[in-house]
Amino acid sequence: METIDTIDAPLSRVEQPNGAFEIRGARTEFLSKQELIKARRLKEAQKAYGRGRAVDVKNVKDKKLRRNLTTLETKYKEATLKAKEAEILLENESGFLEPETELERTYKVRQDDITNDVGIATAQKRFELKLEELGPYRFDYSRNGRDLLVAGRKGHVATMEWREGKLGCELQLGETIRDARWLHNNQYFAVAQKKYVYIYDANGVELHCLRKHVEVSHMEFLPYHFLLATLGTNGMLKYQDTSTGQIVTEYPTKVGTPVSLAQNPYNAILHIGQQNGTVSLWSPNSAEPLVKLLAHRGPVRSLAVDREGRYMVTGGQDNKMAVWDIRMFKEVNNYFTRAPASSLAISDTGLTAVGWGTHTTVWKGLFSKARAVQEKVQSPYMTWGGEGRAIERVQWCPFEDVLGLGHTDGFSSIIVPGAGEANFDALEVNPLETKKQRQEGEVKALLNKIQPEMIALDPNFVGKLDLRSDEQRRTERDLDAKPVDVVEEMRNRARGKNGVLKKYLRKQKKKNIIDDKRLKVEEMIKQQQENRAEKHEAKMAQLGPSLARFARKE
Amino acid sequence: MPGRQSHGRALLPTSGPKKVRGPSSRARSSRALEAFSIAENEVPARRPKGVRTRDLEEQPERASKRQHDEDDDDEDGGDDEGDDDEADEPRKKKARRGGDGDEFAGFSGSEDEEEWHVGVVSGDEDSDIDSDEAFGESDNEKFEGFAFSGSGSKKKGKKKKGEEEEEEEEESDDESLGSDAIDLATALDQWSEGEEEEGEDGEEEEDEESEEESDNDDEEDPAKLDALQSMIAGFAGEEEDGEEESGPKQKAKLSLADLGLAGVKDPHIKKSLKLMSKEEKTKPGARKKLDVPLAKRQQDKVLRSAAYEKTSETLDRWIDTVKSNRRADHLFFPLAQNAHDRGLDGGELMPITTKTSGTELEQTILAIMEESGLGPRAKPEDKEDGDAKPGLSQEEQMELTRQRRREREEHSRETVRAKRIKKIKSRAYRRVHRKELAREAQNEHDEKVATGEIDSEDEREAQDRRRALERVGTRHRESKWAKLGKKGGRAVWDENFRSGLTEMAQRQDELRKRVEGRTGGSDDEDDDDDDMSDASGDSDVNDKRRLLEQLERANEYEAEAPKKGLMAMKFMQRGEAEIKKANDELVAQLRRELGSDAEEEEEEEMDIGRRQYGMGKTAKNPFLTASAAKKLAEDEETTKTTSKPNGAKSSAPVRERSPSPAAPAAGGWSRSEKKVKVKIGAGELDLTNSLPALAVRKPSKPKTQQDSTKEADSDDEDALHLPMAIRDQEMIKAAFGGEDVSADFEKEKAEVEKDDDDKEVDNTLPGWGGWVGEGISGREKRRHQGRFVTKVEGIKKTDRKDYKLKSVIISEKRIKKNDKYLATQLPFPFESQQQYEGSLRLPVGPEWSTKETFQGATKPRVIVKQGIIAPMSKPMV
Repeated sequence: METIDTIDAPLSRVEQPNGAFEIRGARTEFLSKQELIKARRLKEAQKAYGRGRAVDVKNVKDKKLRRNLTTLETKYKEATLKAKEAEILLENESGFLEPETELERTYKVRQDDITNDVGIATAQKRFELKLEELGPYRFDYSRNGRDLLVAGRKGHVATMEWREGKLGCELQLGETIRDARWLHNNQYFAVAQKKYVYIYDANGVELHCLRKHVEVSHMEFLPYHFLLATLGTNGMLKYQDTSTGQIVTEYPTKVGTPVSLAQNPYNAILHIGQQNGTVSLWSPNSAEPLVKLLAHRGPVRSLAVDREGRYMVTGGQDNKMAVWDIRMFKEVNNYFTRAPASSLAISDTGLTAVGWGTHTTVWKGLFSKARAVQEKVQSPYMTWGGEGRAIERVQWCPFEDVLGLGHTDGFSSIIVPGAGEANFDALEVNPLETKKQRQEGEVKALLNKIQPEMIALDPNFVGKLDLRSDEQRRTERDLDAKPVDVVEEMRNRARGKNGVLKKYLRKQKKKNIIDDKRLKVEEMIKQQQENRAEKHEAKMAQLGPSLARFARKE
Repeated sequence: MPGRQSHGRALLPTSGPKKVRGPSSRARSSRALEAFSIAENEVPARRPKGVRTRDLEEQPERASKRQHDEDDDDEDGGDDEGDDDEADEPRKKKARRGGDGDEFAGFSGSEDEEEWHVGVVSGDEDSDIDSDEAFGESDNEKFEGFAFSGSGSKKKGKKKKGEEEEEEEEESDDESLGSDAIDLATALDQWSEGEEEEGEDGEEEEDEESEEESDNDDEEDPAKLDALQSMIAGFAGEEEDGEEESGPKQKAKLSLADLGLAGVKDPHIKKSLKLMSKEEKTKPGARKKLDVPLAKRQQDKVLRSAAYEKTSETLDRWIDTVKSNRRADHLFFPLAQNAHDRGLDGGELMPITTKTSGTELEQTILAIMEESGLGPRAKPEDKEDGDAKPGLSQEEQMELTRQRRREREEHSRETVRAKRIKKIKSRAYRRVHRKELAREAQNEHDEKVATGEIDSEDEREAQDRRRALERVGTRHRESKWAKLGKKGGRAVWDENFRSGLTEMAQRQDELRKRVEGRTGGSDDEDDDDDDMSDASGDSDVNDKRRLLEQLERANEYEAEAPKKGLMAMKFMQRGEAEIKKANDELVAQLRRELGSDAEEEEEEEMDIGRRQYGMGKTAKNPFLTASAAKKLAEDEETTKTTSKPNGAKSSAPVRERSPSPAAPAAGGWSRSEKKVKVKIGAGELDLTNSLPALAVRKPSKPKTQQDSTKEADSDDEDALHLPMAIRDQEMIKAAFGGEDVSADFEKEKAEVEKDDDDKEVDNTLPGWGGWVGEGISGREKRRHQGRFVTKVEGIKKTDRKDYKLKSVIISEKRIKKNDKYLATQLPFPFESQQQYEGSLRLPVGPEWSTKETFQGATKPRVIVKQGIIAPMSKPMV
């Protein structure tokens, strides 16, 4: 492995013409040890948890604002420091296979070697499901990695708690299954069958048939937006809200049958690999792709995006594997594969699993956010396969050092040390959750649901300033739009005693402006009152003279 | 008040001395002064009158008569001044005004101040208005910066007056500074010179004057002062207008005669005059008569302003508190300052004593503690006191303790020595023992090797491999590569060369260390606990020498031990001798051991690393054959001069002790020259080495060849599989040759760019200003085109986000659905976008920050706890 020495950041010191050497990081001012330690800690914290550059407080003219901003900045600084300090609570750490000598290669380590050397509990995570009849199998891990959904091409669907080996449900659908996905938890899953998409519950009961999703070949579920995104063979991309049941949007991709689909977990953008070697990025808010990039010469067979949304790995039919920086949209590296990569997956720690032909290769360090210049990896981290089982899909099990492999002969789970996130955030996803916690989590997730309109390349755009000029805004204003009928709107909105109408009138009275709108509102109120009085009288009449006083007024 | 009082001074114009222009000669001027003062008394009626004094003119005789019996008038009186006499009114006012003026000016005070005033201007306190006073406000402005000598201090006090008397000044402005006027300062000088001459002439004058001014207690030299006064009055060309000067001065002598009312019989006037004179005599502080109160409105105004000041002062005390409360992140109610336990520090607990123990429980516990001797009273007894003998004085006692201490010390010396020897011994033992152990292990190992139990080949191989690795890729400073690089200055631009340079430096350093025999530095630093050993020799020989030295030192230590006091006693010496003997024995034994060891050492201890052969060193390695030695020497030469790049080949350290005949030959771990590297397209990497089945190395490969470097290894693998890869590549190229994907993409990008770019829209309506329909020629149609063109601004090609990205199209269309989550305008307090967006950087939720941060961010600003919320009793800051 060679570290790259660049002009900007040379590793070796360059002798200047006068024979002097540049001194890097020279301290020009004296600081006490405590101060130095403090500064270093702050620097580390900023690097790991900092949120952008601080506001330049000195240039603020308004005194009060300056003070407020200063306190805010100090708060942010403290927050980063606290976050850094809280790292002490991350008790688990992940470790990779490490060669003892330079001649040792980690990719030569077989699964048997690992299972012999690890504890029984871990060794049990390596298992195989031999399902030779109805393959090849596609599968999906639930968000917390506890449940497994296996779907054979020929109509076999099964869910299981794979660690306990407990079967949830098993279905024989008797028709082609192209994809299967868990929804927000292990209670529901969607299966893309021959014609439509169906939603089943944990017991295998068919809940919904989504007839608008026709001949779906790929599916993705966006957990924070409760959106099920499907991609049909006809190239239609559809978003369905699984909490409300409505179709949010549908767009034609217009480039023939799509080949692959992946979601960017960072910003919920969908990446679609096309036949013509392009990868297009879609959001439910735009009828045309946000970005299109030419990744390969042939169809883009597989895609994967890392969880921080920084890097994308694509595998093409042209036996290439490309690593992209999807913030800058630049190709970082290009690798050669023996066969087109049929499936790609990136783990929490950045391990990339490539399923190609009958093999699976795991690469380590294809990209690293810590490095300025990504290096080209020379050899893979681990390998598996070569036993005549064509890989259909690879996927990492969340929070586990486990790689799932769906192939023609069923499903295999192998152990890849260092792949999983060692410290999970139980507030986010809890792999050890109880039933109650799952239920609570479901409600909470629904309450925190994000609107599909908030999906954008930069998910932090919410609340930012609209930088359009006034002129631009004016031109963009729809002048032909129908004027909103306020009264009608109010009528629809009005509810309760202190309704919108009254509130409006109350406010208008102060202004003492009598216009058309106000007259209408007054009229409406009058009518409402009359109606109410009528009703009241009717009630009184109904109750009779003696009981009339008990008639309730509305 | 101003309305009523403004003319007060002007009503007494007559009392001022008649202005006499001093003639040019001094004598004349002085005589004129005298004459004037005489005449002043006698003929008051001749004075020039101001406008308001005219009505006083009626009774000049009365005024003069009045002057004589003034003293009598002082006693009698008591008549009421009920009816308003025209002449009386202004005088009354005058008197009051004078008093006011004094108060304002603050001259009511000390004696010496008065004296000073007297010395300069006049004896009369009330009438002391000097030449400064004569200047009106306008004059003050005019003569700014001009100061009279000796009158500076007056100025301040009188200025206020000056303001009020503007009117009078206006009246008499015509009389100011005539043509023959002189400067006041020079006039004063002149006068002081002419004073002596004047002496006799002034005698008669004095008598008269002294009577009149007998009420002035402070006056020391009344005659002189009077003269001075009169002189100043004479000069008062400009002062004349200021009746205020002469006015108050004359007040003391004010009589009815002055006013020309000498013969007045009116009791009211008499009474008022008497009151006036009385008032002047009494000190202003002690006077009985009250001022006329201010008008109600005026009073209220003063009161209000005073009250306002007071209130604002009290309120100002709260400003800081209010500010800090306003700025505070959180406010807690009820306030801490009103809490019942305010000021008590709950952080620390004091021990309970009999005084502080308040509750019954505490007292009981205290009693129990006391009983069991654990209470606060039970103090540890003083040891020294117990030791002290009653018969000895303190000095003697101290002497005794000192002596004892000395003896104890002397006694311990021998034990110290024993300890030290023991330490040395133990260390030596350890060392020797370790050596022995190592030797044994080595022997065992050798035996095993001999019997074939251990495959020493492996070890050697590993060693060899390491060496080979060290050598491979070594670049030398004098090599061709380095020279070329230096010549071309490649280090500046070539990264590879630069990294090579560092590598070279590191290698060199490592090799040098190896040659010197220091491998890792993890040799033996186990026993640095010795406080005495400062020299850190590595070799055991050094160590031994050091040990011996230490022994020597220990002996010396013993020799110099003194014999005195307790140590002089027999039994002590006997015991001492015994210890010493034991120590000596130990030392001898150690010496023996060390000596023998050292001899042994010389035989078998060899320095690790390359031997140095030179002038100084004659010792030869007996184990080396001549050829080997020769070779080594050669090697050394090569490393020293390093003329050949090949020289580094065998620069690894040679172990003399390695007995195996299969010593690594140079060829054994030299770099395999043959590199089977097939170049494929740049930037393409083979995945094939991941193929476990293929990656298994051929068993037929000789083991020695495995010692190639990692690069060679991978190269080999490449060589193994690459033909296939190349074939694949070519196949792929052929497969995708048909469709030119990138060209299509470029085309698409160009289209998109064109779409988004600025556009010109032709708004011309067909038929507007021309004919349409059939039969219109193409030329005619074209003529009407482009008449109304509007330009639609788009995004220029160079402004696009993907301008510099080759195979990327980034949509520049605005996503309208996202707009509703944008802020339409900059929120109020912020001044720029950066400030606003920077303030939104950190989300509040618990998912994004620690619990502490989250709670801090969501804590309410005002926290009210149960209890009575009393207002702040005092400022908190």
